[in-house]
Amino acid sequence: MFRMRAMKLGAAVVAGAFLLTGCGAAGADTPKPSAAPSLPSLENASGEVAFWSSVTNMQPVVDEFNKTHPNIKVTYSVVPSGTAGGYAKLSTALQAGNAPDVATIEYPYLSGYASAGNLKPISDYVGEDVLGKFPGQITDLVKLGGKSWAMPYDAPPMAFYYRTDVLAEAGVAKAPATWDEFEAAGKALKAKNPNAYLASFYPNDANVLAGLAWQGGGKWFGVEGDSWKVTMDDPATAKVAQFWQRMVDQKIVKVEQAFSDEWSQDLQQSNVVGVVGASWSATGIISRTKGQEGKWAVAELPNWGKPANAMLGGSTFAITKDSKNPEAAAVFTQWMSTSQDAVKARGNSGSAWLAYPGLSDIAKNAFDASHFGGQDIYSVYQKASDAVLPGWNWGPDIASTLTPLHDGLGKITTGQTIEDTIKQADKSTTDALKSRGLSVTD
Amino acid sequence: MTRIDSSPRPVRRRQPGAGGRAAAIFLAPFFTLFVATMLAPIAYAVYLSFFAEKSSGLGFGGTQTIFVGLGNYASVLASETFTGGLVRLGMYCLMYIPVMVGMALALALLLDVAANGARKLFQLLLFLPHAVPGVIAALIWIYLYTPSISPIVQAAASGGIEINFFDAHLVLPAIVNVSVWEWTGYNVIILFTALQAVPREVIEAAVMDGASGLRTAFSVKLPLIYPALGVIMLFTIIGTLQLFTEPTMMHNATASVTSTFVPNMWAYDAAFNRHNLNEAAASSIIIALLAATLSFVVTKMTSRSNKG
Repeated sequence: MFRMRAMKLGAAVVAGAFLLTGCGAAGADTPKPSAAPSLPSLENASGEVAFWSSVTNMQPVVDEFNKTHPNIKVTYSVVPSGTAGGYAKLSTALQAGNAPDVATIEYPYLSGYASAGNLKPISDYVGEDVLGKFPGQITDLVKLGGKSWAMPYDAPPMAFYYRTDVLAEAGVAKAPATWDEFEAAGKALKAKNPNAYLASFYPNDANVLAGLAWQGGGKWFGVEGDSWKVTMDDPATAKVAQFWQRMVDQKIVKVEQAFSDEWSQDLQQSNVVGVVGASWSATGIISRTKGQEGKWAVAELPNWGKPANAMLGGSTFAITKDSKNPEAAAVFTQWMSTSQDAVKARGNSGSAWLAYPGLSDIAKNAFDASHFGGQDIYSVYQKASDAVLPGWNWGPDIASTLTPLHDGLGKITTGQTIEDTIKQADKSTTDALKSRGLSVTD
Repeated sequence: MTRIDSSPRPVRRRQPGAGGRAAAIFLAPFFTLFVATMLAPIAYAVYLSFFAEKSSGLGFGGTQTIFVGLGNYASVLASETFTGGLVRLGMYCLMYIPVMVGMALALALLLDVAANGARKLFQLLLFLPHAVPGVIAALIWIYLYTPSISPIVQAAASGGIEINFFDAHLVLPAIVNVSVWEWTGYNVIILFTALQAVPREVIEAAVMDGASGLRTAFSVKLPLIYPALGVIMLFTIIGTLQLFTEPTMMHNATASVTSTFVPNMWAYDAAFNRHNLNEAAASSIIIALLAATLSFVVTKMTSRSNKG
């Protein structure tokens, strides 16, 4: 064990020395002032790059890259999606020191990997000329401690999907624009059909709750000086929690697991006639609601009085500490995230909303939106994406936040409130961060 | 010995040390694997459990490994979710062990007196559920439990009974049910085999003395298969402490099964969600020590009852 550590250290020193002689920029281990970094030239990058991802349809993208970049050879491995085992696999590989050059990490998990020393900052390889072109609310999410840690890939904004036919029958002519209208629409639906629900509340997907809090103006994590701030109990979040508690209590939304058979069946049988989701939800709705073609529409998420939105899901490509070829890895991630060819090669990407400006038009052309009655769903996503509130941060150990949220939300059908669950999660997050030695103010 | 000496095959004389060398050669693969896949990981886990990865400030400077002694054990045992999981596991045992062992015993005793042809058939039928892998079994049962898609729940609802197996209070019995379904048949086979070894003359003597079938079962057969009963208790307890597959699968289907529902899930969550391998190691060792202690108690108890 000690020898392994020593060897790894030795390898890191050697790699660091190469970097220093090569270009003057240091590796991830030594923090450098972010002002005027001299970046390595990526023009001559070559060699092998190992790439892990659970993003669908990436094989043709990798093939296209290998075809157009003869000096770099990317080997692609499909891994399970993050919480289904992908992160377990990545963490184990990082522990063993044989992680791939490029890993796919969702935004909420990024600061956890970055703060555990598992990543090489992308801003050590790719300049502001590229990173600066991403919308500010997205770069906020990958920038931590003065460095950008990963290349944003997709950046799905939240959206509300609904059955136009069922709502029209209940006297609701257009999509609810505010949460008050959402509640009114729910009551109208209940009056028409007491067994129908306007949407679902997912106890197993606390990311949705986080997105709703973000959209409501809440801010769960922040950085103050050299300390993390955990403020999940802020008033904006409390307002959101109370609203959803009311929706659950009035049975306007059904408490059920996202992506469960039960949820699929409820959509199929029109027991649940709306979905609070994100741009990618379109694909899932289409596959679950065969026979309801043309009856669905998408709208921006109802808001609290003025346009506001949040992101739900989305992935970044990060270069791990174990990468022996970070320059080539940087070329590859930059190409995947910013090149039109990459999006074209992927084909139908399941209503993806890409972070880099101008790329979503290509994804739009590859997506068949006839299920939504010919609606231009991407123009809704565009508005939704523009409205994403800037300044949201994810904490440095998101599992310690999401786990107590999931566990607490599991009890809301037996008396626990959403607001109490969030308060408990605030406390367990604070405790978990402190136990890791991080400085935390509550 | 004389028979061997008189045989035409060449006589192998025992060279001092030769047997040892041969044994060593035959045992080496076992011990190599045993050390590499059992002892070394356990030693590494014990080692890990004494250290912690600490960050400072915002954490972007990476982590430092420091020695914390029994600190990880203390924080695992202080964790409400871990102790909650242990209590839940205790409740699971209280339901599962009596039901499963009771049913296995009853079925084995019935098999023992069944007609010869029926015996084979029932043996097979009883064993079938065990042939289904745990993950698949959990998936099947999740389908049968899930409200609004389960035929059982729907049939009950049409009969006026509202039942939700994923209710926070009902989900543990629901998991017990899956385990009983999976494991009863397996244990029936072990007990039945033990019953087959009971000397027939003892049973004949009992019948001659006028003992009823029930009396024979409880006063003659049962005491004679205590060792087998001890073995299945041992396996069951160790297996129960390692409960993981069924609740993990159910965790995906219902929020009533939390991500730290049982201690093994707690360890998994610590290692792969919270990236705290040190606490995961400490919790695994606590579970292992618990299994060792309980196994010791069970072996003591069964060996005492054998003598008595």
